[in-house]
Amino acid sequence: MSAICKVRSILDDSFINNLPLTEVFVDSITCPKNISKVVLELNLLFPLPELIHLKRVKSKEVLLFPSQNIVKEEVHKILQERGFPIDLLKNEIRKVEVAAVPPLVRSQYLQCHSIWPCNFHSDKYIEKLYTNTLFSDEELKIKMKFMNITEDIGKFSKNNNGVLIVDPKSNSVVAVGYDRSNDGPCRHAVMVAIDNVSKSQRGGCWTNDEYFTVDQCNSNCKDIPSDILALLRGKYTDIKFSDSALIPSERVTPYLCTGYDVFSTREPCIMCAMALIHSRAKRVFYGKSSENGGLGTLCKIHTVKNLNHHYEVFIVENIEEKKDS
Amino acid sequence: MLNKVIHSDILQKKRKLDSSKEESTSPTCINGNIKTNYFSEYEQKYMEKAFELANEALQSNEVPVGCIFVYEDNIIAIGRNMVNETRNATRHAEMCCIDQVNDFCKKENLNFIAVFKETFVYVTVEPCIMCAAALYDLKVKSIIYGCKNDRFGGETVFNVADVLKPVTTRKGGYRADDAMNLLKLFYQGVNPSAPSSKLKRKFKETT
Ligand SMILES: [Zn+2]
Ligand SMILES: [Zn+2]
Repeated sequence: MSAICKVRSILDDSFINNLPLTEVFVDSITCPKNISKVVLELNLLFPLPELIHLKRVKSKEVLLFPSQNIVKEEVHKILQERGFPIDLLKNEIRKVEVAAVPPLVRSQYLQCHSIWPCNFHSDKYIEKLYTNTLFSDEELKIKMKFMNITEDIGKFSKNNNGVLIVDPKSNSVVAVGYDRSNDGPCRHAVMVAIDNVSKSQRGGCWTNDEYFTVDQCNSNCKDIPSDILALLRGKYTDIKFSDSALIPSERVTPYLCTGYDVFSTREPCIMCAMALIHSRAKRVFYGKSSENGGLGTLCKIHTVKNLNHHYEVFIVENIEEKKDS
Repeated sequence: MLNKVIHSDILQKKRKLDSSKEESTSPTCINGNIKTNYFSEYEQKYMEKAFELANEALQSNEVPVGCIFVYEDNIIAIGRNMVNETRNATRHAEMCCIDQVNDFCKKENLNFIAVFKETFVYVTVEPCIMCAAALYDLKVKSIIYGCKNDRFGGETVFNVADVLKPVTTRKGGYRADDAMNLLKLFYQGVNPSAPSSKLKRKFKETT
């Protein structure tokens, strides 16, 4: 099967939206050789701390100050009052809309730079996220395989909701979960998987004894129900299941889901999205958007400012289209 | 009714005396357009019970949050934070209570959807985003809480109600300073399950 898999980042709106604009006054410089003098005087008399990302000059025009409620005719009066030598300017005042905030990605930079020049410090990592080029083809293949396993796990629930928690350092499966809301209203696949990670760390709250054989309980895979484990091991022979959680050589016991990738058939709801914040997940990949989704549809919990942890979110598109039909 | 009003007046005066920061103690209410700025005797009684549970959590080295669920004037669930004990960061007091209500419904052969709709939640700290979303989805009747949750609050940090448009009424501010002081006591100490900063650094190096 050829991997037609596209992994798209779900970024904060501030990266996606057009930059908000604000109106400023600009004027033309009388004599080009005075440019530096004009800029120096303006920076001194009219500093623009909020618009520091903007260049002060565009060819023969200079940016004066935000227009606010000031009329064009009063601009030179204001300049003069502050002691600016107005003979350096032509008094050909124009109102121009410029970027109100610094551009975060190249496309925003290009959008605002065409109106008025601005500074831009490209963040290579964010640019990769924005252009969906973070993962190599090899990595994409692995992500897709994990997504396939997640779908297989979902089949154990009545609504096909499955979750897989993976340690990306070793590409091994730490825990699985599928929707068990028959046993309790909050036992969404994500919540079950999180609890199964806790179990791999000698914790956990929900019993699932009925899912395990005695033999299973003695192995270090007790967070994966035995029937699922057998099925997965048979089908995905090259994937390690639940071997990484407590590698003795690692010395440090894993803390919650720190460093783990989470794969989910559907976009997690707000409760589950926040549960993954509490659990310190590293990345969340999901297959389909949900009506009640908290990672792109209703809101983007992973971009809420003031939270002490954030994870990255990706939607894995076109996974196994054949099987869907 | 008159009695209640008088009582609430006394309570408010007392609260003002108790605290120098008047603002943080004044109860807030988001209940449609109805402004309710006092707590009935019932509410006080149940909140006191929630505070007992918060204290118990503190003694057990857990984030001191206590919670009770009340249905038809009966306490049907009592919960406190159990994150460290279960190594599961989602085991907040409210989540523990939700599981208990589910057990209660099974035992009493009641429809849990119907029960949650008539359930009053009393919790010492504003529910976090996760718990708020869970409680709104379950359509609980009301949430009454103590102090704001400025780290994870489902109103304060991100207003879940804006997106989920819940039927649940919310009212906060009961002994807010006391609830907050309990949290401060906990965070001044060391969370025994969290890796120390040194360990954390080590962990980061290996990731
Ligand atoms: Zn969910
Ligand atoms: Zn919570």
